[in-house]
Amino acid sequence: MAKQLGFYFNSNICVGCKACQIACKDKNDLPVGVIWRRVVEYGGGSWIPRDGIMVPQGMFGYFLSISCNHCIEAPCVEVCPSGAMHKNEDGIVLVNKDNCIGCRYCEWACPYGAPQFNEEAGVMTKCNFCIDLLEQGQQPACVSSCPLRALEFGEIEELRAKYGTAVEIEPLPLAEITQPALVIGPHRHAQVTGTGTGRILNLEEEI
Amino acid sequence: MNTQEWALIIFTILTEMSVGSFLVLGVVHFFVERKAGLKEADRMSDRVLIAIVVTLGLGMLASLFHLGNPLNAYKAVTNVGQSWLSREILSGVIFTVLALVFVALQWFKIGSARLRDVIALVAAVVGVVFIYFQSRIYMLATQPSWNTPLTTITFYASTLLLGVLAIGAALVANCAVVQRKNPDCAETQSEMLRGAIRWIAIASIILVGIEIIVTPIYLAYLGTGSAATQATLAKMAGEYNLAFIFRMVLGFLGAVVLAAFLYQNTSGSGKKFLGSLAYGAFVLVLIAEVLARFVFYATHVGIGI
Repeated sequence: MAKQLGFYFNSNICVGCKACQIACKDKNDLPVGVIWRRVVEYGGGSWIPRDGIMVPQGMFGYFLSISCNHCIEAPCVEVCPSGAMHKNEDGIVLVNKDNCIGCRYCEWACPYGAPQFNEEAGVMTKCNFCIDLLEQGQQPACVSSCPLRALEFGEIEELRAKYGTAVEIEPLPLAEITQPALVIGPHRHAQVTGTGTGRILNLEEEI
Repeated sequence: MNTQEWALIIFTILTEMSVGSFLVLGVVHFFVERKAGLKEADRMSDRVLIAIVVTLGLGMLASLFHLGNPLNAYKAVTNVGQSWLSREILSGVIFTVLALVFVALQWFKIGSARLRDVIALVAAVVGVVFIYFQSRIYMLATQPSWNTPLTTITFYASTLLLGVLAIGAALVANCAVVQRKNPDCAETQSEMLRGAIRWIAIASIILVGIEIIVTPIYLAYLGTGSAATQATLAKMAGEYNLAFIFRMVLGFLGAVVLAAFLYQNTSGSGKKFLGSLAYGAFVLVLIAEVLARFVFYATHVGIGI
């Protein structure tokens, strides 16, 4: 089987500091509005009145740090009309910006919000697994920046052997749609995709 | 909604209108030729063909404004093996080329009438395939509000409805020009026009009937589906409810009320009235279809994050 790189993210220890998101923006010099790695906050529950005071009822929340998952059945690659979106020999999904026509079709096809449009360049951009750092034997910027050591990368089969195959965690979609090269260490309050009672709680931010 | 999606609205509406008009004009030409001969049929349709290719050209041009990098546009046909978008562009370009070749041959009367018929027929088939590919683009697993065969049905309904009413308006306009230039053929042209308009009015009512049947089925699909389709429904009922309501009202007024008057008028002698009704029905339905497409793009909600 061909080599396929992937990420492992341990949701149970993530504190949502977004160091990964910012390290990614910084390393890849991304413009405002383009965020290759995003920290999603998912939560739910409410406060209800009891004996004259408000008490929490089923409150929960957790973070997921999600970049491109370099999916095995990548729909962005399938729908791309120009062939600009492609998978390399390590399974990394890359955009060849010389071929990209900027139609943004991949944006509609991806359930993880990975392909993002660069207004100035007129082409799609996305997580490239810090391919230049990998070539120098280093780690992707997001992995090395995490103060909690919640992110790892490697051959997806090895990550699965080590950490299991959990990936269908709200608010992520069913794995069958794209077969993401991602393993999640579920938070103790994690809800399985399709059974979620919460919602995405991120505030709109301009970074 | 950004300007790039307005480009898509213009592109899809104009190309659908062109394909629909091409099909409808072909049918009109076929029957007029049977009744009044090739010369009268050509008189009726040649100028309208020019209008169709101009509309088609503008539509194809609009697609470029959707692109972030239009200089690479020609690369959009690279992935025909997998991408519905590649298939759409390839079939759209083939339809445009065939339509241009046909209209040039027809206008200058080059080649036999049968040869031109064959080219027109091939172009019509490619046009129908083109609209099918166009609708398949939206049927993505990640976009449940689009991922239904109803998308294909509504795209074809738009194609034919815009086609019949655009042809209705264009035939009326053409008739006025023809009669001014050749007063001797006024009687035949008027009679043929009235016959065509009568069928156009009937077709318009049937086609908008299909849209009226499809709409509640679509709303039910959204209402009983996933969280994403429910979010689409909430957008339709909330933020975009005016556009949705106007679209239904204008579509009904244009394609049913004015079409009914149009039908009635074909048996009378008020020719001027026929013109205003045909133009009015076309304009109302065009606005309704643009609004419908606007709502289609504005209310989609993807799954995941």
